[in-house]
Amino acid sequence: MLKKVRAQQSLSLEVPAVRAEFTQASNARPAVVRHLWLGVYLPALALEAVMDVNSADAFAVVEDQQGLRRVLLTNAKATAAGICRGMSVNAALALLPVLSLAERNPAREEQVLIKLVTWAKQFTSFVSIEKPAVLLLEIAGSLRLFGGLGTLRRRISGDLQQQGFTASLAIAPTPLAATWLARAGNRVCIRDRKNLTGALSRLPLSCLDWPEAVCESLQAMGIAAIGDCLRLPRQGFARRFGASCLLQLDRALGRLPDPRKCYLTAEVFCREYELNEEQSDRELLLNACRELLLELERFLLSRQRMVQRIRFSFFHLQGPATHLTVGCAQADRSIEHWCELLAIRLDRLQLPAAVIAIRLQSSRGQPLSTTTGRLAFSKTDSRRQESLISHLVERLSARIGDESVHGIMAVAEHRPQYAWRASRLFAQPPQCPATPPVAELWRNSSLLSQRPLWMLPEPRALDMRQNLPHYQGPLTLLDGPERLETGWWDDDGIARDYFVASNPAGMQLWIFRNRTRDNHGESGWYLHGMFG
Amino acid sequence: MDDVLEKLLQTPRLWRGCSPADKPGWRGLESGYPRLDRHLPGGGWPPHALTEILLEHYGTGELKLLMPALARLSQASGEDAAGWIAWIAPPFDPYPPALAQWGINLSRVLIVRPKKAGECLWAAEQALSSGNCVAVLVWSERMDDVASRRLQLAAEKGQSWAIAFRSVKALSGSSAAALRIRVSTGEKGTDLGILKSRGGRPAVIRDYASAAEH
Repeated sequence: MLKKVRAQQSLSLEVPAVRAEFTQASNARPAVVRHLWLGVYLPALALEAVMDVNSADAFAVVEDQQGLRRVLLTNAKATAAGICRGMSVNAALALLPVLSLAERNPAREEQVLIKLVTWAKQFTSFVSIEKPAVLLLEIAGSLRLFGGLGTLRRRISGDLQQQGFTASLAIAPTPLAATWLARAGNRVCIRDRKNLTGALSRLPLSCLDWPEAVCESLQAMGIAAIGDCLRLPRQGFARRFGASCLLQLDRALGRLPDPRKCYLTAEVFCREYELNEEQSDRELLLNACRELLLELERFLLSRQRMVQRIRFSFFHLQGPATHLTVGCAQADRSIEHWCELLAIRLDRLQLPAAVIAIRLQSSRGQPLSTTTGRLAFSKTDSRRQESLISHLVERLSARIGDESVHGIMAVAEHRPQYAWRASRLFAQPPQCPATPPVAELWRNSSLLSQRPLWMLPEPRALDMRQNLPHYQGPLTLLDGPERLETGWWDDDGIARDYFVASNPAGMQLWIFRNRTRDNHGESGWYLHGMFG
Repeated sequence: MDDVLEKLLQTPRLWRGCSPADKPGWRGLESGYPRLDRHLPGGGWPPHALTEILLEHYGTGELKLLMPALARLSQASGEDAAGWIAWIAPPFDPYPPALAQWGINLSRVLIVRPKKAGECLWAAEQALSSGNCVAVLVWSERMDDVASRRLQLAAEKGQSWAIAFRSVKALSGSSAAALRIRVSTGEKGTDLGILKSRGGRPAVIRDYASAAEH
């Protein structure tokens, strides 16, 4: 009889509809975990956000509590000196006069959390912030990729430790349960909802962030753990402590859905690096830029993107900032390469004054395209060669200028001056399968007459002596004429007779005579190319 | 008498101009002109080295001289992928239709036009030592002995063929190039004068383009 009553009580908080779903689910198929949440609680965030990681001094964060400045968190050295939470600032300084103090900085804490979200995005696409100090990672979809729960968990906690954060991790099927378990410092991993009630029951009320008054009155009723709350009748609980507390319990147990907002990080990279003092040493500036580039690399990696153009801004104490845009021919995300290009550009950059801060901005970039690496590097691997030649091109254009490094292509056009143009390197060739490449035509057709290897940018008028064109001596015509008369449709038409000529110096020249007479009734002779 | 001669020939200190042991270890890049190839050690242009071409005016047949070899290098063949050819600071515009007629792969041509004379040699050195260009053609007024040595070293490092075009005024200066050729106009056609050839001998080839010996 007594047992039956207990059972009824413990079930009293359950919603009937959800129970029905539970039984159905257990009958129909093995429990499939649809979501798995990893809660990361950072208990010392207030301290770690403002503390210099490398300093070894005793350090404490203080907060204004009811008009009195009290110690909130301390580092290990300060704790060893006997300073603890809640102590007034005066008492703490009396104990340890060399103690460094810092005000709590919530804005900075939020920045740190956002930075951690950016980092956590490499493990899952869904990261949510539970203020003030919990990150929630939805990891059900990441388990396979990262080699199972244990490996993923070790990796995340290892990375956090490396970045200098104290963290406690807990895994549960609902976000709220993961938050509470992490806050309680339980290093548990619950994959099945069936075990959730048992694990949560033992948690103290302190790990919930319910209002102070609610916790106090619950404690006065002799209720110290979540399990005790669950045994209370629902209606009475809701009436006394508000529906929101009941809703939280239901959500934590997975009886009601608990939608979360995924924190969307900025798609455009923009970071600043503040130098401790004004700096004009190139080497140090380059190192600072390198830090920014490392962040950019992480940023791009988590988005599987790459960028083609980045912009550095160097800020001075006085005067406008100096901007430096670095681009490469093919989008890239490797840091070494960007550093190399930056070093070339920075070397030639005129900085009007010492630099106090640097900002790095990048465009949104394009999706990453990678190729699988090969074991044997054969020369036939044209893709690989392409990437290396692009590095050369970028180095050259970084120093000489983009417009001074280019490729060339032949154009289907009769007018010699339009039969070619400079082309961008590594641009995708336009897709027009109907016309065969012009270069092939030139190579294969024996009907076309010989063209000169050297072309003058502009035709040069030739001197006339005794009705003969002269270029370093009288010219002898060897071949011709080849009449080119075309282009009347676009106001740049030509009517010329081209000849191959040679001069006494042995040069073979490509000259032409205009068929249209000029104002003096003369048809001039012009030099247009050399056969080289 | 024969005995003495035999003894003399076996002395290692004696250098014999025509001994087969003097054949260089490399195989040259065939120039496409058999008469020139015959005078070059290795049967062609020295690969991975600097070749200097000295001339009075641009356009006197200096490009024609290189075209067959460059065309072969720019086309993919067997194991080797198509190689890039860098033109650094050309005095005029290389004309793509003509290059295509000579068989140059236009998609593998890289034109660099430095604005300052100093950048010209820097660009050439970068292109040579990167190991991506099979040939680098450089026109520079400011080349001296030191620059030629640097280009020679870069060519060795990047396994690339460097070709420098210089004025005949540079004739008197020394150079680290493996091959120096003077291009000049003769009675019938273009003459070549091999001034310096590593592992070979100076020679003069009259009207090099024609098949017949003069």
